[in-house]
Amino acid sequence: MTKLDNVTKGHPSTATGAPGPAVAVGSAEPRSIRRRRAFTVRRGATMVAFMAPAVLFVAVFIYYPMVSGSQMAFRNWNLNNLTDTAFVGFKNFQTIFADATFYTVLGNTVVWVVASIVPQFVIGFAIALFLRRTFPFRGLYQALIFFPWAISGFLIGILFRWMFNSEFGVINDLLSKAGIIHSPIPWLADPKTAMVAVIIANVWYGVTFFAIIILAALQSVPDEMLEAAALDGAGKARTLFQVIVPYIRITLSLTVLLRVIWIFNFPDIIYGMTGGGPANQTHIVTTWMIATTQRGDYGQASALGLIVVGLLVLFSIFFLTASREKKGDLS
Amino acid sequence: MKKRQVLSLVGIGLAAALALSGCSAPAESGGKVTLQMVESLTNPVRTKVLKGLLADFEKANPNIAVDLISPPTDQADQKIQQMLQSGSGVDVLEVRDITVGPFSTNGWLSDMSGQLKGWKGWGDLTDNAVKYAKNAKGKTYYVPYGFYGLSLFYRTDLVKAAGFDGPPASWSDLLHQATALQNPAKNQFGYAFRGGTNANSNVVVAIEAYVAKKLDHDNAFKLTNGKTIFSAPEAADALKTYFTLFSKASPPSSVAWGYPEMVQGFSSGSTAFLLQDPEVIATVGESDAITPAQWSTAPLLAGPSGIAVQPMATAGWGTAAKSTHKAEAAKLIEFLSEGKASTTFSQKNSLVPILKSAADSPFYKTGAWASYLTMTEHPDKYVSVVQPRDSAWWTEWIQKSDSEVQKVLIGQMTQKELLASWDAYWTDKWKQK
Amino acid sequence: MITRETPLARTVRIAFLALWLVITLFPLYWIAVTSFKSPGSVFSYPLTYWPKVFSLENYAGLFAKSQFGVYVANSLVVSITAALVATLISLMSAYVLARFEFRSKGALLMGFLVTQMIPSFIALGPLYLMFTSLGLVDNRFGLTLIYIAVCIPFCTVMLRGFFANVPDALEEAAMIDGCSRVGALFRVLVPVMKPGIVAAFIFNFVNCWNELFLSVTLINSDGKKTIPTALNDFISSYNIDWGSMSAAAVLTIVPTMVLFAFASRYIVQGLTAGAVKG
Repeated sequence: MTKLDNVTKGHPSTATGAPGPAVAVGSAEPRSIRRRRAFTVRRGATMVAFMAPAVLFVAVFIYYPMVSGSQMAFRNWNLNNLTDTAFVGFKNFQTIFADATFYTVLGNTVVWVVASIVPQFVIGFAIALFLRRTFPFRGLYQALIFFPWAISGFLIGILFRWMFNSEFGVINDLLSKAGIIHSPIPWLADPKTAMVAVIIANVWYGVTFFAIIILAALQSVPDEMLEAAALDGAGKARTLFQVIVPYIRITLSLTVLLRVIWIFNFPDIIYGMTGGGPANQTHIVTTWMIATTQRGDYGQASALGLIVVGLLVLFSIFFLTASREKKGDLS
Repeated sequence: MKKRQVLSLVGIGLAAALALSGCSAPAESGGKVTLQMVESLTNPVRTKVLKGLLADFEKANPNIAVDLISPPTDQADQKIQQMLQSGSGVDVLEVRDITVGPFSTNGWLSDMSGQLKGWKGWGDLTDNAVKYAKNAKGKTYYVPYGFYGLSLFYRTDLVKAAGFDGPPASWSDLLHQATALQNPAKNQFGYAFRGGTNANSNVVVAIEAYVAKKLDHDNAFKLTNGKTIFSAPEAADALKTYFTLFSKASPPSSVAWGYPEMVQGFSSGSTAFLLQDPEVIATVGESDAITPAQWSTAPLLAGPSGIAVQPMATAGWGTAAKSTHKAEAAKLIEFLSEGKASTTFSQKNSLVPILKSAADSPFYKTGAWASYLTMTEHPDKYVSVVQPRDSAWWTEWIQKSDSEVQKVLIGQMTQKELLASWDAYWTDKWKQK
Repeated sequence: MITRETPLARTVRIAFLALWLVITLFPLYWIAVTSFKSPGSVFSYPLTYWPKVFSLENYAGLFAKSQFGVYVANSLVVSITAALVATLISLMSAYVLARFEFRSKGALLMGFLVTQMIPSFIALGPLYLMFTSLGLVDNRFGLTLIYIAVCIPFCTVMLRGFFANVPDALEEAAMIDGCSRVGALFRVLVPVMKPGIVAAFIFNFVNCWNELFLSVTLINSDGKKTIPTALNDFISSYNIDWGSMSAAAVLTIVPTMVLFAFASRYIVQGLTAGAVKG
């Protein structure tokens, strides 16, 4: 334990790494005074005061633990034996890259993200389109179909684990009543069907988020634009793809980006449903990371965490460049 | 919204939060000591029993209060690690045979041999209990509260209806009977196979039964010739029988079955055989689906030589090295390890007791317990062995071996590859040491 | 833009929406049905789609076996407090990010975005040690603090989008009229952005209400647990108590459903306001 204290206390640099932005805000201020007319000291002070709580909270409670956790990635940090926590450079990363399971897990993660997000997007978009037209009890309908998003991922995992249960599960029962199957499918025991099952659960959960955001975006499309398109004699499909989609393109692409990041980092459903099994076949990087911490290897787990952050940052840059967005418009 | 309203709303929120945090300071007035106690193998029935015993302890020791923390089993050891590492929040903890190695290596556990030197309870413990309470170096990191051991739960009615004289005595008997009872169309299966969490344990038990005659009893992963048990030719026979049990006599979904699913499979009536710890006796007893007349237990399954091998598993109570109340902690551990408290704990949780006297109790001679008596009465036929569960890499081994068992079940690995991989793993680990 | 709809399109629309409603509600229906079965008949075969007898035993058992009421109260207090404070803090930071130009703005936004990419597991260990030294382990106030921090980044980015849609002129006029900047923000902008702020609050609330891994790590004693932590306890590796589990699930889902029923109008309205930029 004393060792650990030393580690956390002995690296003040990790703590200063995070408040960086706060300092930067301060230093940027005189520059803005020069640049813009009505800038006063008072205005600058307000700016810093308004920004400070958010930056402070994020720096102290998110960046500090994260940075202090990442140094374990470069150490031999195994809870089963903490007598030697020497600095080992990139050894943990090498171990991960040499492990065949890592590539299975990476592949699973890609399948998990893509196969979840595409149906979520398509169904969500369809719902949003259909919901634009008013109909009786639309408000109630909206409230009813939006609720999955308010349930915890873990609970959804448990719920679907129960429904996909081979012997007492309702899904096998319905399928066999409908005559589609003749003997129960061991959904969560077969690697292929287990992946299908967790993705079904994730789609069920995630459609709502897209539906809400896209519905909001659709409602922001000015009526004049649609009327103009109608006057031009544009058909429904053409209006959709040539007027509506371009108008809400930014919202769509940013929502997709955010969802990719979230789904990538979303172990809850898989953790609740299969725990990564059978035979690691439904592990994604984040559930595999949980399993790694469970066997006490915090060094490797942290290395995995850094790999996740690295992959996602790379992906975001690529995605944002591809969708030709300026960095400043990240919101 | 007016500014004042917003601010007052926030004010209320903050006040509520502060009020909540205010009540969290431990009260230690008047010389009263509060012990923080954490359990690991939590289950609701057991927690209730433990709380009752702690209340008795508090009554007998008015100056000591005990706060019991019961994290869910899956995360408990991780939580305990975090507490021990942070050095606060825990005085007494449940130490398992698989956690004692890592915990003591990290200097997290207090050697209690000093505090327990004059303890009058030592003489009442069984030899096995003493063996675990005092390790090879004479240190006492924990005092066991009981032992876990496997026996075969079986459906007496189904076995009889299928024309068998009695429960299976060996692995090949089990395969024979379970196959005969399998009828998927009626949701009736032979064996509650363990394919999920801890799948490796039953595979190893089967292998050990097959190599019983040349097994090293103090390291049951080793043969007397120094090689691993996975290298023996008999191990291949064991796997053949064991995995046929899965393909011919178990529910397909059991690839993912861990403890709860196995027990549920048996207590819901859908499987006829189950290999489990004695604590399941209580759980199955509560089932609505099968009546006490429909099931019983039989001794652990033997290999071809007629010998069955019982790996010992245990857990007990220990003290954190950073605890500032070691004397009080020792007092609590003594209390839990002797007399009525110990007997109550092991009986209510269906554990093999740590007290010599308990074996004479009629409780252990009746019903489902009878098979345990049979096993203790014939130690040459039911051999107790020690697995290297205290190895620092044990959790790593569990994860590796579990996933490889599943790979064999879903056809991604052959039985031969599995044995080669396990043999290489342990040979390598022993060489490193 | 409401144009006429062909009968075919109408049928497709209604069929699709109806189908999705069934798909959405079915799991909820199933967990509710399970919760009303008597504990013994949860595992009866063949399955029953409507309990023969409505049994409240699982619910009674839930409150008898665990302090479920306490968990609900903990969850409510922690989630409401954290969501309120986070919304307020984010309101201020979002205001700065929307209204001021400065060099490190892009870096700040990126810093917030990156928080979404960090798997929480990398930070749990150090967080636990930090909270131990602050005396915040097993403490609802500590949990509230970390929840505030977790909510801020996304909430700030979301609210910034809403600010961008409110014209500058509005608060400039107020400031010319003698309002302070703070006054302008709260008296003029907040009322205009009400739906957006409600939406942000609900996002925060839902996130805190559902959070599992942080609360499992930081909370120890039974009396301080939140609902997800308690649900996690029902799935111990020894036994899955499906009866209590489903009763607890119903009691967890219903309040959030009710909240959504009231708030879904605001959410969509609020998001519509911020949609182009947010």
